[in-house]
Amino acid sequence: MPVVYVNIFLAFIVSLMGLLIYRSHLMSSLLCLEGMMLSLFVMLTVTVLNNHFTLANMAPIILLVFAACEAALGLSLLVMVSNTYGTDYVQNLNLLQC
Amino acid sequence: MNLFASSIVMTLLMLTMPIILTSASTHKNKFYPQYVKTTISHAFMISTIPMMMFLYSGQEMIISNWHWMTIQTLKLTLSFKLDYFSMIFMPVALFVTWSIMEFSIWYMHTDPNINRFFKYLLMFLITMMILVTANNLFQLFVGWEGVGIMSFLLIGWWYGRTDANTAALQAVLYNRIGDVGFIMAMAWFLLNTNAWDFQQIFAIKHDNLNIPLAGLLLAATGKSAQFGLHPWLPSAMEGPTPVSALLHSSTMVVAGVFLLIRFHPLMEHNKTIQTAALCLGAMTTLFTAACALTQNDIKKIIAFSTSSQLGLMIVTIGINQPYLAFLHICTHAFFKAMLFMCSGSIIHSLNNEQDIRKMGGLFKALPLTTTALIIGTLALTGMPFLTGFYSKDLIIETANTSYTNAWALLTTLIATSMTAAYSTRIVFFALLGQPRFNPAIVINENNPLLINSIKRLLLGSIFAGYLISHNITPTSIPQMTMPYYLKMTALAVTMLGFILALELNSTMQGLKFNYPQSPFKFSNQLGYFPIIIHRLLPTMGLSMSQKMASMLLDMIWLENVLPKSISYFQMKSSITVSNQKGLIKLYFLSFMITLALSFFVLNFHG
Repeated sequence: MPVVYVNIFLAFIVSLMGLLIYRSHLMSSLLCLEGMMLSLFVMLTVTVLNNHFTLANMAPIILLVFAACEAALGLSLLVMVSNTYGTDYVQNLNLLQC
Repeated sequence: MNLFASSIVMTLLMLTMPIILTSASTHKNKFYPQYVKTTISHAFMISTIPMMMFLYSGQEMIISNWHWMTIQTLKLTLSFKLDYFSMIFMPVALFVTWSIMEFSIWYMHTDPNINRFFKYLLMFLITMMILVTANNLFQLFVGWEGVGIMSFLLIGWWYGRTDANTAALQAVLYNRIGDVGFIMAMAWFLLNTNAWDFQQIFAIKHDNLNIPLAGLLLAATGKSAQFGLHPWLPSAMEGPTPVSALLHSSTMVVAGVFLLIRFHPLMEHNKTIQTAALCLGAMTTLFTAACALTQNDIKKIIAFSTSSQLGLMIVTIGINQPYLAFLHICTHAFFKAMLFMCSGSIIHSLNNEQDIRKMGGLFKALPLTTTALIIGTLALTGMPFLTGFYSKDLIIETANTSYTNAWALLTTLIATSMTAAYSTRIVFFALLGQPRFNPAIVINENNPLLINSIKRLLLGSIFAGYLISHNITPTSIPQMTMPYYLKMTALAVTMLGFILALELNSTMQGLKFNYPQSPFKFSNQLGYFPIIIHRLLPTMGLSMSQKMASMLLDMIWLENVLPKSISYFQMKSSITVSNQKGLIKLYFLSFMITLALSFFVLNFHG
């Protein structure tokens, strides 16, 4: 397997770790989500360009669009939390706690 | 022919002279009231010339002066129609107004604004003349609105008094409702006959005239205080007595009836509207006569009497007798104005006391007023060969012998007997018996202004009926033969009313006044009509509008339907569905451990 794919795959794994393990700020989770998306984009672009999958030339752009939407959604949720509590500490999301 | 036109123009112009001269500040002069009175008396004398010319030779005239504007195909001009109705009404109205002006010089003597009062009365007279001589609907509407406005200004003459302002506003509002009918008729005539001139309207054959005639009937209901739009007339007694005498007995309130009389060529073929007028008039005359039986204010009793006679006029139109209705208008003006003037004399002498329970014993103290009051009462009830007899008895005879609604006939007869009853009540309480007023007042009637004006109308009340009905051109044929009992009906019910009222009043004289029963309360509170309508309808309207605007539109449609309901629904369902408690880091951690474990297990097996 070419080295570049391993590289990008490792970047993805690191971002995933960052998404799942974080201390208090919700923002860091969202940033890692963006990192995951970025690594996927680069992998997809490299694959398509190296293997000349001409018909799949649109795929990275579409991926980018969807990622932008989800980022916006994530940010709006963050803003809502921040509006209510003042910070984005994840320990504030405890309304459903028994 | 020249004399006809010039006399009319001179009459109408003379009436406007005192108004025009206000720019020369004649109206600040001390003798302005006398000037106005003599103007009107001269106008009366000049207007008798065309009337006599008309009676002698039957000459009618239409004076079309000035072309105002043409709106596409509608031509608006200033034109005067001088036919049977306007020729006879003008001298009568001017005569009555002359007497009232003379009376009000005496009555309003101490009023600082007496010049303005006379100016208003004169402006009212001018607009009434415009109404009567109008040849097209537009000019009639100008006169119609003019008398309404002057009525408002004159009822609220003592504007410092809340009741007077309320009464003036009430008059304007009720008249406005009637004006809606007038404008509807005007619009219909414009659309369907392309003209507002009477000649053109009467010359065209129409299919169905129900709509405009219903509109005109509504206008007459508003202006002539028929049932449904009647409360403004008793409230209008807040104005000074000359105002009540001129406007609300002789001239303004007959404008509605006059309008229907003007349109008699259209009404004589429309049975629907005639029946509607008949039932409306019968209802009015019975209701207002019943209300008059228990009132205690002398002016209100006379106001209800006016309303009852107006109902009788509408009944006459309903049996297709416009000329009889017109005759009743003319004769009614005399004795009703005189009744108001007598009551004004009594009120003024007793130091502004209007309650008949506090009058009495004026028989010897005010001899001329007493005479006039009794003769006016007898004329009102239709005593044979006084003025009222020539019109009222004819109306009841015609109604008895015509093919008409028996219920309307019965109510008219009952109302006639009630007329006699409340008239006896006025005479009994105000004139007879022992005095019930404060003794420390001076009662006199030796002012020549008062005496002359009442005497003039007294002569009119006695002789005018005979003079008018024997000199007018024969119009519709009166019923010549009828059974004996039908002929005597009017007289019999009147006698019944008189005797019953006299007996009841003298029997109950010394007895204790016990707590009123339901019929008394119904009659005294005017049938509860003002109490219900004046409160209920505005409350309903305002609360419904508040609910619709504020609750329905704002709070429900704009706020609640989409935004708030969506958020509410989402919150409720998310709380129901989710069984999570928020611990995000724990969930992410478990996710990662699962991933790592699966990676290791699936990769390094075997």
